[in-house]
Amino acid sequence: MLSIKNLTASINGTPVLKGIDLEIKAGEIHAIMGPNGSGKSTLGKVLVGHPSYEVTGGEVLFEGKNLFDLEPDVRARAGLFMGFQHPIEVPGVSNAAFLRLAYNKKAEAEGRDELDPLEFDDFIREKIKLVSMKEAFLDRSLNEGFSGGEKKRNEILQMAVLEPKLAILDELDSGLDIDALRVLGDAVNKLMRPDHALLVITHFPRILETIRPQFVHVLSGGRILKQGGPGLAIELEERGYDWVVEEAATGGHR
Amino acid sequence: MTVAVPSALLADLLSAPRPAEWEALRLAAEARLAGRELPTPRDKGWQFTDLAPLSHTSFAPAPEATADISADLLPEMVGTRQVFVNGRYAPHASCVSALPPGLRFLPLTLASEACHCLGTLAPETARSPFEDLNTARFEDGALILVPKNLRATLPLHLLFVTRAEHPCAVFPRVLIRLEAGAELSLVEEHMGHGPYLTCPVVEIQVGEGAILRHERVQRDHATAIHLATLRATVAQGGQYHSRTLTFGARLSRQEPSVRLAEGAEATLDGLALLGDGQLADTHSFLHHAAPHGTSHQLHTCVVDGQARAVFNGQIRVAPGAQGTDAQQKSRNLLLSGTARVDTEPQLEIYADDVKCTHGAAVGQLDPDEIFYLQSRGLDLEAARNLLTYGFAADLLERIPVASLRRALRRLVLARTHASALGDLA
Repeated sequence: MLSIKNLTASINGTPVLKGIDLEIKAGEIHAIMGPNGSGKSTLGKVLVGHPSYEVTGGEVLFEGKNLFDLEPDVRARAGLFMGFQHPIEVPGVSNAAFLRLAYNKKAEAEGRDELDPLEFDDFIREKIKLVSMKEAFLDRSLNEGFSGGEKKRNEILQMAVLEPKLAILDELDSGLDIDALRVLGDAVNKLMRPDHALLVITHFPRILETIRPQFVHVLSGGRILKQGGPGLAIELEERGYDWVVEEAATGGHR
Repeated sequence: MTVAVPSALLADLLSAPRPAEWEALRLAAEARLAGRELPTPRDKGWQFTDLAPLSHTSFAPAPEATADISADLLPEMVGTRQVFVNGRYAPHASCVSALPPGLRFLPLTLASEACHCLGTLAPETARSPFEDLNTARFEDGALILVPKNLRATLPLHLLFVTRAEHPCAVFPRVLIRLEAGAELSLVEEHMGHGPYLTCPVVEIQVGEGAILRHERVQRDHATAIHLATLRATVAQGGQYHSRTLTFGARLSRQEPSVRLAEGAEATLDGLALLGDGQLADTHSFLHHAAPHGTSHQLHTCVVDGQARAVFNGQIRVAPGAQGTDAQQKSRNLLLSGTARVDTEPQLEIYADDVKCTHGAAVGQLDPDEIFYLQSRGLDLEAARNLLTYGFAADLLERIPVASLRRALRRLVLARTHASALGDLA
C-alpha cells in the first residue's frame, strides 16, 4: 500500500528526515516511536503534504502512485488520512457542514452518491456513537473551543467519516484521559479493515496497548534506528529510548 | 442643476423645500450647516475616506415611490414590521398586527410623542454634517417606545427601501426609547436600487436595566452611498447590543457612539464584506462615563478586489469610571493584493482601575488552516472559500433571529464564492 524509499525532507533548509525506508501492506498496523524531535510527526506531515516541509530526496508510492505528484487534497481523496496532534480551529464553519463537505468531496471522487443534509444527519449520528461524541459538537464551529480531548475525538470522527485506506495517527493519546483513549483506540480498531492499514506515531507506548501494531519502528535523528515486533514497544516502555540511540551509535544493527 | 463645488451637496438639498413640522429643529440644523463644507481627507477622521463622489453628483430629494418587498420579509416579523420607501412611510407594505399591547412602533409623522424625543434621546457628541442634514430634511422615520418592564418576545423589523432612477437623497430617522426593565430585539435594514444617498440617523435611549438587541443590515445598492449616524445612551445596568453588517453601497460610513452609565453594557460588533471598489468606514465611539461598565467590540472586515475598509475605534474611559472592562478587537482578511485596510484603536483612559484590551490583525488566510481542510479532501479553492466564509460568518452565529441568520449566511456564502460548497447555511 505504502512504500517509502530513502526519503529525505527538510524544514527551512534544516534536514529533518535523513533517509527513511518503510513498507506498509494492507491489513498491517505499524507504530513509529521515538524521542521528541526525532522526526516522527514530520514523517506523517510529509506524507500528507504539509506545505512547511520540503521533500529533498527519495520516493514514496501510495497504491502504486508517486505520492509527491499529488496535491494534499488529492492524496486525501485517494484514501490517505492523518489525525493531527494539534488540529486547527476553524471559526464560523460548523463541524457538521464541514464533515458533510469532506464526505461528499470523497464520494464525488469515488463516483458514489453525495449525501444531502438530512441523509448526512442520519449517517453522522451513527458515526458519533463510535467516538462517544455529544451531538452538540456537530453544531459548533470546527474544533473551535474544543478541549484537547474533544479535538482528538473529532479527528477520529473525521477518520470514521472518510474511511481512509491508510490512516496516520499522530500522538493520539496526548490530551486524552485513559477512558477517552480506550474509546478512541477501540473506535480505530473497529474502523480497521483487512484492506486498510494504520501508521501510529507515538512517544508513549500506552496507546499501543489498545491499538496493537505488528511492526514497531524506532525513529531518532531523522533515521529509523531499530525495527521489531510488538515486543519492542514493551522493551521501550521499560528501558526508554537512550539505549537504542547508543546501540545505533556504536554500530549496532539497524 | 448646481455646479459641483465641495458643498454643492448641502446647497442642493437645502435649497429644496423644507418638509412640514419640526421647523425649529430644522432651522437650527440649517443654521449649523450654513457655510459648512463637506469633510475632506484633510479633516480629522476623514483622511482615508474621500467624499469626492458626493461633490461630483447632484442629489435631488427622493421622489415618492413604491417597492415590492415581499422577498425581503422575515417570517418572525411579518406582523411587526414598518416599511419606508424613499424616506416615506409605506402603509401597505407595513404590518404591526402582532405588536404587544403598550409597545409603540409607528411612523414619526403619526406619533405625537415624537416631538418630545427628536434630538433629545441621546446627547450629541461631535455632530456630523450628515446628521444635521438629516434633521433639516428628513421626511419620516420610525418611533419605537417600549414601556417599563415590557419584554417584547417578537423582534421588530424596520425596513428602509430606496428606489432611485436619478441621484436622489433620503434621510431615514429612527427614535428608540426603552423604559426601565424593557427588552427589545430590532432588525434595521437598508436596501434599494439605483444611485441614491442615504443618511440615516438613529437615536437610542436604553433605560435602567433595559436590554436592546439591534441588528443593522446595510445591503444598499452597489451604486449607493450610505452615511449613518447612531447615538445611544445606556442608563444604569442597561444593555445595548448591536451588530452592524455592511454588504452594500460603494461608499459607506458608520458613526455609532454609545454612552454607558454605571454598570451598563454594550456590544458594538461589525462585519464588512467588501469587493470591487467599495469603501466602508466605521468610526465608533464608546464612552464609559461611569464606573463598572462593560463593552465588547469585534470588528471584522473581509476585503477583496480594490475595496478598502477603514476602522477607527475610539474608547474613552472617563475620570472616575473605575472597574471599566472594555475589549476591542479588529480582525481583517485581505483577499487581493489591491485590497486595503486601515485600522486604528484610539483609547483614552482617564481612570486607573480599568481593564481595557485592544488588538488589530490584518492578514491573509492561514496556510495551516488551508492545509488542514485540504488534508480532508477539499481542493485549494474550496478550502480558501470555506475559510473566507468562516472568517465572515463567525459574527452571524449570534444573530438571534433565525431567518435573518440563515438569509445572511446565504448572502455571505454567495459573496465568498462558497455557494458551490453546498448548503452550509
